[in-house]
Amino acid sequence: MSTGPAIVGLGVTPMSTTPGGTALEFAAAAVADCLRDAAVGIEEIDGLLVCSSQGVRPDRLGIGFAKGGGFGALRLLEHVEIKGASTAAMLDRAVLAIAAGRAHSVLCVFADAPLRPGRRAGSTYAHSGGTDGVRGLERAGGLLGSVPTYALLANRYLAVTGTDPAAIGAVAVTARRWAVDNPRAVNREPLDVAGYLASTMVADPLRVLDCARPVNGAAAVLVSDRRPNSHRSLIVRGASFEHPVRRRRAGGESWFGGGGSAASDALTAAGMTHADIDVVQLYDPFSIMTLCLLEEYGFAKPGNAGAMALGGDLAPGGALPTNTGGGALSGFYLQGMTPVVEAIEQLRGDAGARQVPEARTAFVSGLGGRNDHHAALVLEAT
Amino acid sequence: MSDWLVVDELAPDVADAVLAPLYEAAARGELSMPFCGACGVPLELDQDVCDACRAREVAWRGVEPRGIVHSSTLVHRREAGLILVDHPYPVLDVELDSGHRVVMTTLTSSTTAPGIGDPVEVGFRHVGSTAVPAARVVRAQLAEEKITHPEATIPEGSS
Repeated sequence: MSTGPAIVGLGVTPMSTTPGGTALEFAAAAVADCLRDAAVGIEEIDGLLVCSSQGVRPDRLGIGFAKGGGFGALRLLEHVEIKGASTAAMLDRAVLAIAAGRAHSVLCVFADAPLRPGRRAGSTYAHSGGTDGVRGLERAGGLLGSVPTYALLANRYLAVTGTDPAAIGAVAVTARRWAVDNPRAVNREPLDVAGYLASTMVADPLRVLDCARPVNGAAAVLVSDRRPNSHRSLIVRGASFEHPVRRRRAGGESWFGGGGSAASDALTAAGMTHADIDVVQLYDPFSIMTLCLLEEYGFAKPGNAGAMALGGDLAPGGALPTNTGGGALSGFYLQGMTPVVEAIEQLRGDAGARQVPEARTAFVSGLGGRNDHHAALVLEAT
Repeated sequence: MSDWLVVDELAPDVADAVLAPLYEAAARGELSMPFCGACGVPLELDQDVCDACRAREVAWRGVEPRGIVHSSTLVHRREAGLILVDHPYPVLDVELDSGHRVVMTTLTSSTTAPGIGDPVEVGFRHVGSTAVPAARVVRAQLAEEKITHPEATIPEGSS
């Protein structure tokens, strides 16, 4: 039986918050789990797409995984690289390749192992970046790692939109409410506003609990036009990308703005509107980005995302269930795989106690750079 | 004498492939920024092609060392091995009167961050042997000249 491309398999490793294991080991485990889930043998895989976090480690996942991971001859093999939008790009690439007859069964794999003995992940990022070019100048000014960078974005966003700063904490507390019922999540202890406010400040206004929780782990997604478990397969109804150019120049916003056409084009391709989406899964490296992106992508009116977060719209039982596994803040930070994994579980009806009733459609986003690369996918259950 | 904020290892090379004109001017105490050599629009620090007229001619020239705070943050995490101070420190995104935006910290040690819109003057810190732009908050400076208790003149944080 051959039909159009669909997501037919999901493999996810346990998420480790302690050092140990390599990206390649996690990738191999996720692939094995994915093939088991899809009831597909590795000999049927004729396409492999990989992506990884950038720049930090020399032993990141690459196309060498084709040999190291035990695959046979492949017709499609690529390392996809548009930073945090790479996972969505892999899925899009897989769908297009299958539709063009270039492959039948394409595995999309992301693996990361930033946690090393003796140094926290945030510290690893802070120590990378060098002294060259504009980044070098910024680092000489104390801008180390991504938290202070997104803190500049956050304070500018709050000032321009007039958003209540308490909305940032509401996003973090809401993420934890979802994560409490997600067995994959690494932060599942209940969290209230007082607990959030007790969290250590990293770069004002972002606290530890406003930041993605790095893990060692991997996820793999199988896209195929052969569907042994067709009742569990999902269709990628729409995909689109936007790489906005915001000039760092007087008269314009340079920290945020752009990405909206990725969302609207993906919805148009799917024949849907925002109102047709049952669950929203955003790439949320920092709590502030959930607010910013809900507005950019048209799920909130400009300046209104904060009120939605404070009003419970994003929470369990809310009007717009968002980041329903706890996202990157309380769930796990596997970059663009985090929203993809949760969307698949929700649309399959596998989300257990956090299941959004009758979730049939999901909006999934990817985000790269300094809010520079936007990816949008619309997924639908079959 | 070392910088107040960061270790010498974070010093950019004066002969940096992109920012050498900035660092060479900074060593003379001048603030130099890139403009399109054809149409004069202020370019980003690493921009090779003008987005207004497509010219590939970058002209660095001296600008007034003044601007306003476009955004700011007070960084509480002091990265071990990189940051020298034992207190939170400010990072500012400064919009220069010339139209450019440059990320920098303050000229001297500070435990607060100026607010968005606050006026600043730009001077230079020395990280290792490299001069880099740094901001002096105008409001705080004026206040310190009038009031004998500097602690009372610290501007409010950015949030």
